[in-house]
Amino acid sequence: MSRGSGAGYDHHITVFSPEGRLFQVEYAFKAVKAAGFTSIGVRGKDSVCVVTQKKIPDKLIDPSSVTRLFKITKFIGILVTGMMADAKSLISKARQTAADFRHSNGYEIPVDYLAKVIADQAQVYTQHAYMRPLGVASILFAIDEELGPQLFKTDPAGYYVGYKATAAGAKEQEAVNFLEKKMKSDPSLSYDETVQAAIAALQSVLSEDFKATEIEVGVVRAGDDTMFKVLPVEEVEDHLTAISERD
Amino acid sequence: MSSIGTGYDLTTTTFSPDGKIFQVDYAQKAIDNSGTAIGIRCKDGVVLGVEKLVISKMLVEGSNRRIFSCDLHAGIATSGLAADGRQIVNRARAEAANFKNFFGDAIPGEVLCDRIASYKHLFTLYGTRPYGVGTLLAVYDEEGPQLYQIEASGVGMRYFGTAVGKGRQGAKTEIERLKLSEMTCREGVLAVAKIIYQVHDDAKDKAFELELSWVCDESQRRHERVPADLHATAETAAKAALEDDDDD
Repeated sequence: MSRGSGAGYDHHITVFSPEGRLFQVEYAFKAVKAAGFTSIGVRGKDSVCVVTQKKIPDKLIDPSSVTRLFKITKFIGILVTGMMADAKSLISKARQTAADFRHSNGYEIPVDYLAKVIADQAQVYTQHAYMRPLGVASILFAIDEELGPQLFKTDPAGYYVGYKATAAGAKEQEAVNFLEKKMKSDPSLSYDETVQAAIAALQSVLSEDFKATEIEVGVVRAGDDTMFKVLPVEEVEDHLTAISERD
Repeated sequence: MSSIGTGYDLTTTTFSPDGKIFQVDYAQKAIDNSGTAIGIRCKDGVVLGVEKLVISKMLVEGSNRRIFSCDLHAGIATSGLAADGRQIVNRARAEAANFKNFFGDAIPGEVLCDRIASYKHLFTLYGTRPYGVGTLLAVYDEEGPQLYQIEASGVGMRYFGTAVGKGRQGAKTEIERLKLSEMTCREGVLAVAKIIYQVHDDAKDKAFELELSWVCDESQRRHERVPADLHATAETAAKAALEDDDDD
């Protein structure tokens, strides 16, 4: 193992560079971008919607086994971007955390607390030289019992915060620019407006019109049934049609 | 940015400036340089085939196997570093046995794939090197026959058909041409043998042994070596097909 001190190792392990940067953490962010996907999340007045591309690199892969949208609990969904193996590990830990919380405390884990736990774990990796950060950005979403629709993003640096709208991955900056314009007036988006805003944002930054089978859409809605759902192809189709008719 | 490591490739715990982990990429290269292994999912089961390169004439035929069973209904074909491959198989066997012990039922394909994948992934996180193994997992459970490929990085996906190793590009092209959803495993065995013979590079590697296994309705949903007569038929047909191509 390389030593922590000495010239040049600040690029190799998670120690500070003379300018106060953590290069390994910055490179982990690059890994998130290098995966080549863009993910978007939008919070409406009573719902949250996340959307991402579904690109299958090889015709021989069974598409039903490929997804980046997962359930942590019945109520909390997660959309991961970056290195898939790291993502599965993170999801596994998150599920364990959520289940332990429910068992110990008797009620469902709040999504902001779960985001904090995931972020704190990521921070540990940025401080221990013998571990590397995970190359994953996760977008968590749920309807909180007290606070309503919630959207959080955690990153390899161990930072997390709640958002009105957010993006991660290859075209993160372009997506954020689009979303900032959309959310500037602090609109109160209905469910349909939320879903269509998210899909339209993805279409705009990737400059392509999608078929319903090329994207994955996950939602949570306030009301009787606040469970996390992946939208079936027909519903995605309906939203895509609504967007194109609007334009 | 250099695509050779130059300093960022010394340990698994280092990201390169492009966000790659070179040690994992290098492990994948070890797999890409080994003998070809193929898996196809037919309508009634899964067939695995391995081009086992024979380095010495003194080796007893049938020794140094590369296809293993992890449970009655599941089998693994390994490619890459053989010793690493055996460790993965040991782990898979332990996972399957543990699951049976704990839940009282055979481990589902998806679960076993995830277990193997997360095990391999562990080794891409900490101080040890990654496993230089590409795993083809064939399972026949209540959901039907399934084929999974787990890469050195710990990413596991379900496939209709796939190949790893030296001849994987050529093999994948051939597999894409097959109508897998209409094929039976009997036909699949012949196809796999044919493809392996086709992609075997006579110039670079001389002798090889063909290992074939299947888990299908005909084998009572058990993972077994293909029966000797079918194996012989497949090899003869494969050799004949090659000669036909040579004549063309």
